[in-house]
Amino acid sequence: MNVPANPLVGRATGWVKQSLGARIVVVFLGLLLVVQIASFWAIRASLWNQAHRELPEQLALADSILQSVVERRAQRLIDGAEVAAADYAFREAVASNDAETIASALANHSRRVKATEAALYNTDFSLRAATGKLQTNMGPLVARLGARALAEGRGGSRASEIALIGGKPYQMVMVPMKAPIVVGWVMMGFPLDDQLVTTMQGMSAQSLKLTLLTRSEAGAPWRVEVTRLPAEQATQLARQPWLKIPALGDMNSVDAVGEELGVRPRWLTQRAANPVDGEVGVVALTSISIDDAVRLPQFLQVALLSITLLGIAGFALGSVFTARRVTTPLRKLAESADRLGAGDYDTPMRGLQREDELGQLAQSFERMRVNVADKQQQILKLAYWDSLTGLPNRVQFRDAVHAAIAQAEAAKAANPSAQPTVAVLMLDLDRFKHVNDVLGYRFGDLLLKRVAERLSQNNVRGDDIVARLGGDEFAVLLRQGDAALAASVAQRITRAFDAPLTLEEHTVDMGAGIGIACWPEHATDADVLLSRAEVAMYAAKRKSEGPLMYHASIDAASAQTLSLLTELRSAVDRSELRLYLQPKLMLETGRVGGAETLVRWMHPQRGLVPPMEFIPFAEQTGFIRTLTMWVFEEAARHWLRLQAEGLPLVLSVNLSTRDLLDQDLPQKFDALLVKHRVPAEAFCLEITESAIMDDPQRALGTLNRLSGLGFKLSIDDFGTGYSSLAYLKRLPVDELKIDKSFVLSMETDLDDAKIVRSTIDLAHNMGLTVVAEGVENAKVWDLLRELECDEAQGYHMGKPMPASEFQAWSIGWANKQRPRPATGTGAVLH
Amino acid sequence: MFAGLGLAHAATLNVNVIDAGGKPLLDAVALLEPAAGKAPVKPMADVEISQAKRQFAPRVTLITVGTKVTFPNFDTVRHHVYSFSPTKTFELKLYAGVPNVPVTFDKPGVAVLGCNIHDTMAAWVVVADTPWFARSAANGRARIEGVPAGNYRLRLWHAGLGPGIEPAAVAITVGAADAEHNAKLAVSSEP
Repeated sequence: MNVPANPLVGRATGWVKQSLGARIVVVFLGLLLVVQIASFWAIRASLWNQAHRELPEQLALADSILQSVVERRAQRLIDGAEVAAADYAFREAVASNDAETIASALANHSRRVKATEAALYNTDFSLRAATGKLQTNMGPLVARLGARALAEGRGGSRASEIALIGGKPYQMVMVPMKAPIVVGWVMMGFPLDDQLVTTMQGMSAQSLKLTLLTRSEAGAPWRVEVTRLPAEQATQLARQPWLKIPALGDMNSVDAVGEELGVRPRWLTQRAANPVDGEVGVVALTSISIDDAVRLPQFLQVALLSITLLGIAGFALGSVFTARRVTTPLRKLAESADRLGAGDYDTPMRGLQREDELGQLAQSFERMRVNVADKQQQILKLAYWDSLTGLPNRVQFRDAVHAAIAQAEAAKAANPSAQPTVAVLMLDLDRFKHVNDVLGYRFGDLLLKRVAERLSQNNVRGDDIVARLGGDEFAVLLRQGDAALAASVAQRITRAFDAPLTLEEHTVDMGAGIGIACWPEHATDADVLLSRAEVAMYAAKRKSEGPLMYHASIDAASAQTLSLLTELRSAVDRSELRLYLQPKLMLETGRVGGAETLVRWMHPQRGLVPPMEFIPFAEQTGFIRTLTMWVFEEAARHWLRLQAEGLPLVLSVNLSTRDLLDQDLPQKFDALLVKHRVPAEAFCLEITESAIMDDPQRALGTLNRLSGLGFKLSIDDFGTGYSSLAYLKRLPVDELKIDKSFVLSMETDLDDAKIVRSTIDLAHNMGLTVVAEGVENAKVWDLLRELECDEAQGYHMGKPMPASEFQAWSIGWANKQRPRPATGTGAVLH
Repeated sequence: MFAGLGLAHAATLNVNVIDAGGKPLLDAVALLEPAAGKAPVKPMADVEISQAKRQFAPRVTLITVGTKVTFPNFDTVRHHVYSFSPTKTFELKLYAGVPNVPVTFDKPGVAVLGCNIHDTMAAWVVVADTPWFARSAANGRARIEGVPAGNYRLRLWHAGLGPGIEPAAVAITVGAADAEHNAKLAVSSEP
């Protein structure tokens, strides 16, 4: 398990991986190390080469020094011997055969040249006198030297030789004694000992070491005679055979106790003609340590080490400095980028003034910051502003309401006696969908912009906010507005809408439902406040009675609508619905010609629910179809009853848009006719213009089929919509009902009277009968009769009444009518 | 030439000496001694061994016993002539010109002369105890004249033979007529 090492290594690796600076430092130091190692090896290699080139030369030089030392020693011996041989007194002594004098003279002369051995031989090489230790045992040597001396020059030559005597190496010379012809031989010699080595060492480099090996018995190992090497190394050298004498420049490499030595041997003794292993003799070994030569000199080692250490220190400092120069701005950039990431786009980047890559990076970041800030602005704009009108959007408005309430709460907390308020107005344009449908979306957008302008103009105070919440919905925030202020602003807005808008040659009447809610009266927080204002707005739209302040009762009603559908469903089953009839009277005769069927809801708890409170809802939810079927069936039943009671009537039934879009409606009606055995001619089906205009093609199909079944068809609320006469002409319609808004004021408004008149004329021309709604007094009745309107409907004659009471009313009406025709009619109009 | 001058019938012995290489040997000495008895000899007069150009001249001098030899020095340097030979041991210490006293060689034999200052100088003095002797010329011939008929021992010597070395004497009978004798000495001819 290499667990102990791993955390450290891991930490180091992690450090290098995570830190750019660390990587720079590591690379710098690594490179330095590589360079140092390379130069170290180069020096090593060059030293090795130099050593192997120079060491053999050094050895060769040492060898020649050795040779010359040996020769000089021989020369010294020879000189000594020659001096002795030439000494007149000595020769005299020899001539006089004075043995004692001869011996003392020999000793004296040998001392002069520090020879340890001296001897005098006769001309036949028989010993005559000797000093020193080696008087015996020299037979072969004397013969050899004598032979050589004789051979080299007749009579007067000299010979020198290195020889083993008694196992010790000696340097021996022999010179003739002449008087003046050769009369004898003088031999001198001294051992090859430490003195030779000392002399030799004194003349050559300290690193060169001389070793003398001797072998006095054939085949015996070499003996170390004298050496300057450590004993162990010398012993190691003695193990080599040293048979060959290398050529000049040769160097034997010997591993001596862990140190490589370059060794050059020299045989000092005479060698046999055919050298064999274990030859007797003396070998001088000049050696030098290859290792020492190859080893870096100490000053160089110190220098290299110092350079390396200084370099490492310098590089470390330099690389740390460089790394800092790189990483510090990078870290600053990273911090700035983090700030960007955290959403701070306002602080400029640091290090912009640098001209290097880091500066460029900083500049790139800076551009990015500016761009992102721009984008952020745009996004904020998109998120918080309505692009069409340039007003704040719902999100911003909601935030503003939150902020306003928070501010108000803070103010209240600071000063409990103060009573800060916040008011919200919410507007929804009337009939905007219609404008969009008829005049196009582009026009609708223009309209919205104009509305926005108007609202902004009428929103006087700087603190307040006008926002478009979406579609045709707008809102106004009054930061410090109470209910009274809100109501006055609402009034002002309403008045502003009173003036029609003129856009691209179109003049549009704009109206809006305005709801108001106030904090803290109506809500404790912003969301509730907004929803309350919305509730009030919807209520205002329903009532069409101008701005409406939120009130709990509206909200309760709103809440009731949520459960209305369920209750409405059960209302049918529980027979809570009632059929009401409003009479339609023939203007000419005053007789009851028919009746419009209306539905009323008798709620067990709430009593009579006004139709406005559930009919729009039923239309929205599609429940209207059920209601229509209920009304139709009920009408059929009552028609039968009234028929039976002698009151033949045409009953009008209102159809909604959804009814018209129901492909199966004619079939369902037919089924009911069959079921109750009622003729189709007993019914008039009333359709509003707008109901047809939602999907004219489908509506036309349905109407054609209904007409085909024999139903009479009537256009309800005629004059309020935009349907063209050309289109109406294509409809299988039998009757027009003039909208009550015209009829109600025709008595006072001449224009309306003209509209009514022309509508009647128009209808008659197209072969349609005309019904006027909203007849509320006798004057109007008379006017309509004048205009030859066919039928009339209104409170003047009869309000909607339970179907069961219709018979009784009918009788009452008939009785009232009897005297009337007698009074002049024509006077009214003129 | 000496005692035999009067003998009309004295003969001449020519000894032809060659060296080991068969070449005529110069300065070989031939001594003819009577086989029995001893012939009377007289010292010779006016014998000189001069030193000129650091050489003895002549290198080999043949004299009779009792002859006085003078050593005139013609060089500008001094010489120290010596002889350790038992035949005549002497030394003439550093001198220039002609030493006053001549050296008397009173024993027969060979004396090797050297100069203690100039090792290369060497001369030989052969002291004959017989009146009949001769030294070979360049042609190797040693001509011994005036030899009466009789039996003789012929002794030959040459400096190249080495100290104390002398070939065995040869017995020779000399008649009335001149005779020839050929001899070979174990001497290598030197340049």
